[in-house]
This record gives sequence, C-alpha cells and structure tokens, in this order.
Amino acid sequence: MINSILKYGLSILLLILFQILVLNNIQFSGYVNPYVYIMAILIMPSVTPAWLVLIVAFLTGLTIDLFSGSPGMHASATLLAGFARPLVLRIISPRDGYESGSSLSMAAYGFRWFIIYASVIVLIHHTTLFFLEVFRFTDFFRTIFRILVSSLFTLGFILLIEYYRKGR
Amino acid sequence: MRNLLNFLLRYINIIVFLILEGIALYWLTNGNSYHNARVVRSVQGVTRGLNERINNARTYLSLREINSGLASENSELRNRLEKMDQKGDVNFIPVDDSLFRQQYQYTSARVINNSVNRQKNYITLDKGSQQGIKVDMAVTNGKDAVGVVVGCSRNFSVAISLLNLDFRLSARLRSSGYFGSLSWDGRSYRYAVLNEIPQHISVNEGDTIETTGFSAVFPEGIEIGRVSDLKKSGSDFYKITVELFADFKKLQYVNLIGDLKRTERLELEKQFQ
Repeated sequence: MINSILKYGLSILLLILFQILVLNNIQFSGYVNPYVYIMAILIMPSVTPAWLVLIVAFLTGLTIDLFSGSPGMHASATLLAGFARPLVLRIISPRDGYESGSSLSMAAYGFRWFIIYASVIVLIHHTTLFFLEVFRFTDFFRTIFRILVSSLFTLGFILLIEYYRKGR
Repeated sequence: MRNLLNFLLRYINIIVFLILEGIALYWLTNGNSYHNARVVRSVQGVTRGLNERINNARTYLSLREINSGLASENSELRNRLEKMDQKGDVNFIPVDDSLFRQQYQYTSARVINNSVNRQKNYITLDKGSQQGIKVDMAVTNGKDAVGVVVGCSRNFSVAISLLNLDFRLSARLRSSGYFGSLSWDGRSYRYAVLNEIPQHISVNEGDTIETTGFSAVFPEGIEIGRVSDLKKSGSDFYKITVELFADFKKLQYVNLIGDLKRTERLELEKQFQ
C-alpha cells in the first residue's frame, strides 16, 4: 500500500516535472502543445477510489496551472478527465475484468485496449483545455484541429513512455 | 441522519467533483481579467524562481546574438548623437533643462518568461514599480512593437504580448497614413492582422505598418511589420495580413517606453468624452 503510493506519487511528480521543464519550453508551434502530464490520471490502478482520482487530478492540474501561468484551465480539464475515468473504464472493460492492484498499463491489458483508453481520456482533457483557453467559439474548426494535432502528439509521448515501462 | 450519511457516501464522487470543478472555474473566470488576479498570480506566484532559473540558462546560450544586437544598436545611437552635436545653434543661449522637451522615457528589461504557443500570451519582465515601470508602458524589442505593460509588482512586471487574442493596437500604413486596428488571430506567431483599412486606398505588399500614438501608449512611428498579404472581404475594408518584424520566439531583452505627458493628455481628453 505505502509502496504503491510512493511509486505513483513519484511517477506523477516525474510527469509534472517533464511537462514543466521540457514540454512547456519547446513551443514548437501554436498547433502542437502536448500535455503528457495527463498520464498521471491514466496509470493509477483500477482499484483507486474515484474521489482519490479526482483529488490527484485536481492537484496535478493545479500544479501545472501555477507553473504555466494559466488560471484554473489545467485544473478543470484534468478534473473532468479524472471524473470521466471510471465511466470510460466501465465501458471498455476487458473480458476478464481488471486485476486489482496492477497499474493500468499497456503491458497488462494489451496495445489495443490501452490505445482506446488513452485516446478517450486524452481527447476529453484536450477538448476541455483548448476550448477553455480560447474561451470562444469563433474559429471553431481551427480549435478542433489544434485539439486533434496536440492529442496525437500527447498520445505519441504516452506510447513511448509505455513502451519504456513495458521494456523494463 | 443515517439517510443523509448514506446519501453523502453514495454521491461522494459527484460532490467532490462539483466542488473542485467549481473552484477551478471560479479561478478561471475571475483570473481572466488581466488587471488583477492574473497579474498577482503571475508576478507573485511560487513559480517565479524556477522560471527565472530556466531563463538564465537560455539567455546564456544566445549571448552572441544579444551582443551583436546591442553593438548594432549602439552604433546607431552613436550616429544619432553625432547628428545632435552638430546642431548646436550659436545664436541662442542653451537652457539646461533636460525635462523641457522630453516626452518619452526609455528603459530596458530582461524577459524572464515568455510564450508564443498559447492563444493568450504574456511576457514577464525582471523590473517592477521599484525600478520605475508603470502600467501602460509600451514594450519594444529595440525597434519594433512587442506589447504593453499590464501589471507591476515591486520587482517584476507583466506585459500583454502582441500575440494575445485580447490585444488591440492602433496602427497605420507608413506610406498613406491611413490607420486601422491591429490584432492577432491566434494562428502563427509570425503574423498579425490589420483591420479597418478602407478599400478605396491602394495598399501594396511590403508596405510598412507602424504605430500611430493615438492610444498614448506607443510613441508615433514605431515599426510593427510589413504587409504580406491582403484580401478584399465582403465589407468595405481590407483584411491585411502583417508579417511582424519582432521575432517573439527569441525575445531576450526589451525596451520599455513611458510617456511623461500621458496623464496631462488623458485628463484633457477626458473632458470631452
């Protein structure tokens, strides 16, 4: 118990640091803004109580907000993703159900399951985030395009990290 | 009581979600007016130390470029000084009053936080009210318009970048003098859009766009960019795409311009509004 709290706490901290120190500084273009820290919501075990997921999501978003100087955008988007997580898990649950205790990873449930799970959560998060950022519906399709491109990059990063975790 | 507890236990997730989302959205809606919360957050936030350190490392890597920029600016200023010295008019006694004709005051600052990839970009500078920075000072990168200061703390200040959906600037064509409103459309950090130029005047690609000085923020004639594309839309106005001179991605040092006669002018103008 203590062990896994330490493990996930450390992973989440690393993800946040990666986001703040590396990804936030790349600024490749206005269309490509990967937000890989959302992986903090993805990897927690399936037995984690929903309220704990919500609190972790809020604190993660809050930290990102403080460091990227945006008021509450990341907090509310991550919170929504965390709220949707149990629903998504229930809808796409694998045939044998979830093993309690293990992390929700590609190694445990396969590539196909993981990519569906990750893309749904990432899309929910990015859609909320990018619309909160512009806060208007003019240029609707351009915002949609930004969401799609950024989601692809985020998913790419997440898969890389997953393959690294699987390889160990 | 038991029922109430059962109810709370059953809906604990939704309740936690609604409370936290409420906090986040409250912060979002109140923090968006950049005159209060946003500035306080950005200037006094716990994160500034880290931002400054990251930026220190980055500045060090581009010292060569900064150096050459400073050298060329130096030589230009030296030329200007030379011209001033030649003008001495022997028929009049010089009056030693440096504030007599001075309208603008210049100072420089280092950029410690900046972004180009968001829809609402801000620039954080390493000088604040203690160093004489005031709200509504103009920010340039030496020659070209970059933004306007919107808030200061004691040692830091935040400027709204030209690359911000909320930013408006009165700008005109240098060739004909017609003025319009310059804003950013959120697409590329190299381009902005100039609106409200009527279609009956001739505009060419490559025409220079400069500030007007109508808003009492920028002095007149600070360069902004050049016309790179123009479209005739359905209305009576052109839609002009302006290629910006300032490269926001490598902004390291900026100049701040304060208007010493701004209050006098605004007070007069207020009487007629």
